[in-house]
Amino acid sequence: MTDIEHNADTGLQVVDPHDDHDEQFSFVGRTFPVNVYTGVFIVLGITTLIEVVISQIFERSGLLIFIMLVLATFKAGLVVWFYMHLNKDNRVFLACLLIPVILVVLAVMFLSIVPAGGYS
Amino acid sequence: MSQEVSIETPPVKDATPAATHREAHGAAHAVSHAENLKFAVWLFLASEVVVFATMIGVFIVFRIRDPQVVLAVHHNTNILLVTLNTFLLLTSSWAMVMGLREIRQNNPQGLIRWFGLMCLLGLVFVGLQYVEYQQLAKEGIALFNQGNEFDGFGARFYAPTAFHGVHVIIGVLWGLYVINNTRKGKYDNKNYVGVEVFGLYWHFVDVVWVILFTMLYLV
Repeated sequence: MTDIEHNADTGLQVVDPHDDHDEQFSFVGRTFPVNVYTGVFIVLGITTLIEVVISQIFERSGLLIFIMLVLATFKAGLVVWFYMHLNKDNRVFLACLLIPVILVVLAVMFLSIVPAGGYS
Repeated sequence: MSQEVSIETPPVKDATPAATHREAHGAAHAVSHAENLKFAVWLFLASEVVVFATMIGVFIVFRIRDPQVVLAVHHNTNILLVTLNTFLLLTSSWAMVMGLREIRQNNPQGLIRWFGLMCLLGLVFVGLQYVEYQQLAKEGIALFNQGNEFDGFGARFYAPTAFHGVHVIIGVLWGLYVINNTRKGKYDNKNYVGVEVFGLYWHFVDVVWVILFTMLYLV
């Protein structure tokens, strides 16, 4: 979230919420010699490769679909969190994303329990 | 001939309480404007979420009801081409955020280079999507299939992917507009909200593809 801090000279001072130019990428407790954006990009690429390999090797099953959905959600979360700056921006923006998603998920769950041939 | 000597005095900062108050208000107004603009874009993206999520939801219900149709299509899909396209879009998203990083470091030329790459990758993505559509059409997977093994798939597949493709094209045009504005000197490290809101849009397009790729091609 963008903050406005009190300052002795001007009374107010704008604080840049994205002052992460030199922030290094940390993942599973380790810090890597790349900036956070490049690190996220590498993780996205590796996760995509894992997804494709898994989908081509294993037969479709409930477990496989669950794993794929978790990986896709993880990737989407990384983009939203780091590239769209929701880790530092106003959390109201997160609600803009989540509320419609939750509504549609509920609608799909409702649709999927309606029998294809109707209630007879 | 005598030369005129001009002595320029540095501007004296008005340090009166009234001036300080005005300056403070100016800073607060700039923040308020940027936040309002971003909120407006997020609300627009919320409406986009509804549209895309509905189309994905329709596909999920179809996938649950007719899994054999989806599996038959997967056997005819060029997964390498789609994976390459996915990498192109992920790379364009990275290029976008690296461009934003450059302007925050007050380097407009860096932004132009990264955004140029981003626009190029977006165009290649759309081109390869066209190639994919051609390949699918040759396999008999059309917008409306009736009476063959792909019955009902086409509309549920082409609607979200084509709608997404249009978003990529709009994003490329918007990216070129941002590049043009940068060339004119409209953005710097103090004023880059125009770049930031475009970034929100482009990353959203990327997020949608991440979900579409898994839902339509992999499960």
